[in-house]
Amino acid sequence: MNRLAPVLHVFSLIMLLFSLTMLVPLALSWGLRDGAEEAYDEAFLLALGSGALLWLLTSRVKRELQAWDGFLLVALVWLVLPAMGAVPLYVFLPQVSWTDAYFEAVSGLTATGATVLSGLDTLPASINFWRHQLHWMGGLGVIVLAVAILPLLGIGGRQLFKAETPGPMKDSKLTPRIAETAKGLWFVYASLTFACLLAYHFAGMSWLDAIMHAFSTLALGGFSSVDASLGHFDSLAIELIAIFFALLAGMNFATHFLAWRQKSLRAYLFDGELPYYLLVLGASSLLIAWYIWLKGVYPDFFEALRHSAFHTVSVATSLGMVTQDYAQWPYFVPFWMLFLGSFAVCSGSTGGGIKMMRAIILYKQVFREFVRSIHPNAVYPVKLGRETLSTQILFAVLAFAFLYMVSIVSLTLILSATELDIITAFSAVVACLNNTGPGLGAVGPASNFGVLTDLQTWFCSFTMLLGRLEIFTLLVVMNFTFWKN
Amino acid sequence: MYRYVAVFRAIALILAMFSGTMLVPVGFSFFLQDGAQSAFDEALLITLGAAGICWFLARGKARELQIKDGFLLVVLAWTGVPAFAAIPLMIFFWPDMSFTDAYFETVSGMTTTGATVISGLDQLPFSINLWRGELVWLGGMGLIVLAVAILPLLGVGGRQMFKAESPGPMKESKLTPRMAETAKGLWAVYGIISLSCFLACWAAGMTWQDALIHLGPIMGLGGFSSHDSSFGYFDSVPIEIVTTVFMYLAGMNFATHFLALHGKSLSPYRADPEVGWYLGVLIASVLVIALYIWNAGTYDNFWTALRFSSFNVVSIATTTGFASTDYALWPIFAPLWMIFLSSFATCAGSTGGGIKMIRAIILYKQTFREILRSMHPNVVRPIKVGGEDVPNNIVFAVLAFGFMYMAIIVSLTLALAFSGLDIVTAFSAIVATLNNMGPGLNLVGPSTTYAVLTDFQTWVCTIAMLLGRLEIFTLLVVLSPAFWRK
Repeated sequence: MNRLAPVLHVFSLIMLLFSLTMLVPLALSWGLRDGAEEAYDEAFLLALGSGALLWLLTSRVKRELQAWDGFLLVALVWLVLPAMGAVPLYVFLPQVSWTDAYFEAVSGLTATGATVLSGLDTLPASINFWRHQLHWMGGLGVIVLAVAILPLLGIGGRQLFKAETPGPMKDSKLTPRIAETAKGLWFVYASLTFACLLAYHFAGMSWLDAIMHAFSTLALGGFSSVDASLGHFDSLAIELIAIFFALLAGMNFATHFLAWRQKSLRAYLFDGELPYYLLVLGASSLLIAWYIWLKGVYPDFFEALRHSAFHTVSVATSLGMVTQDYAQWPYFVPFWMLFLGSFAVCSGSTGGGIKMMRAIILYKQVFREFVRSIHPNAVYPVKLGRETLSTQILFAVLAFAFLYMVSIVSLTLILSATELDIITAFSAVVACLNNTGPGLGAVGPASNFGVLTDLQTWFCSFTMLLGRLEIFTLLVVMNFTFWKN
Repeated sequence: MYRYVAVFRAIALILAMFSGTMLVPVGFSFFLQDGAQSAFDEALLITLGAAGICWFLARGKARELQIKDGFLLVVLAWTGVPAFAAIPLMIFFWPDMSFTDAYFETVSGMTTTGATVISGLDQLPFSINLWRGELVWLGGMGLIVLAVAILPLLGVGGRQMFKAESPGPMKESKLTPRMAETAKGLWAVYGIISLSCFLACWAAGMTWQDALIHLGPIMGLGGFSSHDSSFGYFDSVPIEIVTTVFMYLAGMNFATHFLALHGKSLSPYRADPEVGWYLGVLIASVLVIALYIWNAGTYDNFWTALRFSSFNVVSIATTTGFASTDYALWPIFAPLWMIFLSSFATCAGSTGGGIKMIRAIILYKQTFREILRSMHPNVVRPIKVGGEDVPNNIVFAVLAFGFMYMAIIVSLTLALAFSGLDIVTAFSAIVATLNNMGPGLNLVGPSTTYAVLTDFQTWVCTIAMLLGRLEIFTLLVVLSPAFWRK
């Protein structure tokens, strides 16, 4: 117990903070008289009470957090907070089971955007607000996780970015560094959200819709307050705004931070992932526009381009908002978009998948093996920018990519064993693991995850967490050697 | 040109030898008067002629084969020989069979895939079916040599791992002496096991013709059959048992068989790091799938479920591709699981496809090491296989191979989807051809053929078969510009 106490102590603080965030929808509900107040009362008291209890129980133990505690803390936060976040939904919506409420909250906090709820338009505003707020907090958590925490834990080659993030380097002490980095990031994130919110409002959304969709966009989540998602607004301006901010959210927030601090755009020039990210998305948008225009889905090329650009960016950055039922487009298109979703976004963004940086490293390593098989004795280091990557980082990245693919294969097999058809099973796993949101088949953009059985829903919840915590974090904690002394 | 003299001369020899193997269907066709003799006569002459031209062009002083020549030779042999093998089929079916289809069929044979574009197999002349079976047998033989003697020297995808294990002197830069030495022993083993397979199938109730035709597909893990309903035609438990046993054998490393026969003892099997996993995974999967389909109500009786599960699971997992029933109709988990097995279950140095068990073991150990390393960043933990440390450069090669393998599946599946095929057909066709397994699902399922594909799609599948057989790197290296630079 003494070993766990420091972790639980920090965790109790996070829980207390989290309970306070419930005051926002509570106030909103009270102000709008939308009838959901009671739900937040109970949830707030529950989260506050359990947080305070845990705090009291563990307050006597004082110790710096180590790497081991880091793993545990991250896993605890992402497993337990959704349970707290699910309480208002569970209390207020009698037709929603605990499984579904937890799924919805996980989907919110991991910024996935897959939903089990339908009839969103008729929900009280505060309930919808709470869902989007989960996105926004999750997105912030993801950035901090990706830029400040995972590099220190050395997950899947993340230590690569250690050097790049600001702040002192103290490998054994987690807290000061994370606090330092988090402050800067959170400011950038909040400013971008605010800009997005204004843009949405002036493009024609109500204030409330604008806030919610701005939350969803910047976190690359994908929840919407309407069943038809962004298609409800049917406005080119809104789609362009969504594309623009989704592209920004798919970039490394550390780069945004640097650009803001140096008051110059030079930081973007030095970001090695950025050109690939923009190039892949731009080329894919054009290719898909051409393909669906050729196949006659849209008779007008510019209409095809409009829908192609929006959906390619939306799915590839793991946002997951839709305006059209793109699952009806020729097979190639949705699969290409899902494929992009697995690697296109930059590391340190709110997006999912293996990240562009790792894709580049994988490509370079494979290319090296080609050269090596022709010239067996050649020494050929893998370089990123001007830096040579160490064997250890390469191994970590390769192992990560391998585990990522193994996760897709094995989770798809498990879902298919529960009698789901292949396309639904596969796309649900990919959409959840990449934190994209909509899949294909029974869980396509025109439908939702409510059709799944309880068991399948739990698997999908697990998959979202697995993807969000970069697989290793969860596997390490689930490993029995982790718990040995 | 001088650079390629040695390669051309080797190709000329291979072609001449290959034309010799056409004498077998010529002989049978002549004695049985099945009406296909002229097709083989003409093909034999054309092949022999081509061999002569190659030989003539490559006259003059040749040097020893180097590593680069090795790559080129392997790729030329596996793309060129099937083209000549396709001649008898084109002539016989003239003008109903395009070159695309005929080439697909022979590549499928020589890569021991077993995917076919021909239906109405039962009505074909004996010699044509025999030729298809013989191609698989020859492909299997070429493959063992490729996998045990050539690829390790070329260091493709971590194959150098096995260098130490195969007998003979070590001469890194010269390919020929070692290859010849290793090949001889392996061919003897392959021949002996094939002969016992023929006798066992015959004894189990096949006609001698069927036993002869199926001999190649069983030993080469190819999956061609002389019947449209594959092994469903025999509907005989003894035949299925005999076939299953020989598929198990062909899925093991032939170098291990060689050592066991040579030393007259079973201890090499125990020392082989793959055999335990191979048998464990296969047997466990047979039982799981039997239980699953029995539970799902596909078969009322557990023993019937076990019978069909053990034959079809082993057939698909070892990348053979025979079917004794339309397993695509089982609950979808079962065929998916079988296809998944085919991507890694067989041992290196067998006639099977996929990434091979040894690589799967290395991948698993490396990943597990990384999980441990993220807990204890400073721990040094070498990867061990069969008691020996695996050096880093081999681990890198294996990882790159595993990654390329998955990248190929994704990109070729997308290519087929781009051409308008539905995703299940596209994905399963690519996995089935890349693993050299044969039947896919949906449009290319076990009860249909690959004839439904368009020409473009057929070529994509042909490339997938060759990529899978030449362990991806060999083919891609030869296609890369760096290879042709001086």
